[in-house]
Amino acid sequence: MTCEELLQYLSDYIDNELDEDLTAEARAHLATCHNCKVVLDTTRKTIFLYRERGKRAISAERRQELFDKLQTSFLGKASE
Amino acid sequence: MPDDANLLAALRERSPEAFRELFELYSDRLYRLALGLLRDENEAEDVVQDAFLRLFEKLDGFEGRSRLGTWLYRIVHNLSLDRLRAKRPLADLPDEDDALPLPVSFVDWSQIPEKQLTEAELARYLDQAIAALPEKLRAMFILSEVEGLPAKECAQILEISVSAAKVRLHRARLLLREQLSQAFAESTISRE
Ligand SMILES: [Zn+2]
Repeated sequence: MTCEELLQYLSDYIDNELDEDLTAEARAHLATCHNCKVVLDTTRKTIFLYRERGKRAISAERRQELFDKLQTSFLGKASE
Repeated sequence: MPDDANLLAALRERSPEAFRELFELYSDRLYRLALGLLRDENEAEDVVQDAFLRLFEKLDGFEGRSRLGTWLYRIVHNLSLDRLRAKRPLADLPDEDDALPLPVSFVDWSQIPEKQLTEAELARYLDQAIAALPEKLRAMFILSEVEGLPAKECAQILEISVSAAKVRLHRARLLLREQLSQAFAESTISRE
């Protein structure tokens, strides 16, 4: 497997969606290619960081306001 | 995601509990997608509100061909892109089978961030990197990685094929990796 091919398959490799043969070829390439190993490790880390820290929520106060507004219009449009 | 049929039936009866459940389930998820695209808290809240209001209008005619969540995400996505387009044209994406951009940075920072950066610095880097992505890639990345949705559902939300969704995710990951590599490389160099 070449570096270009590994790059092509990188997401499938990370997501465990490559078939056995390609997975074995990717592993063999990664064992000997420093640059591709770095790309793999830093891509995994990128995904991990966003999964861990990407979960923002509406501020509690604004959330309550939004809830109240929507609830009013959900329960009865006549109240406007 | 929960059983939609029951929730939908209860919503049609205007059950307050059903409304609460719907809001608890989806408000923050929808907000994250809208905020990721619009990058403005007020606008993101407006879009979430509009999406719920549209659902209420459509409740009786809602056919259940798509899940409630998929439908809501799709509305939020479309409303957000409409707002962005009103300001400037959206970035064009490369074709699905165009060559991937080759990696430029080979600095191994995979062990670095937690040890060398403060929480605030790290948050700023993550935010800047995702802001630099074309909106359509950003939407796919948020749905897949932050919200944890399977590619098939992301594709339904974005109204593209599953293979196109996977290509978007792949490109988004590589671009973000490149952005973060540069940011982290600079931050470690400047500290030495
Ligand atoms: Zn290689």
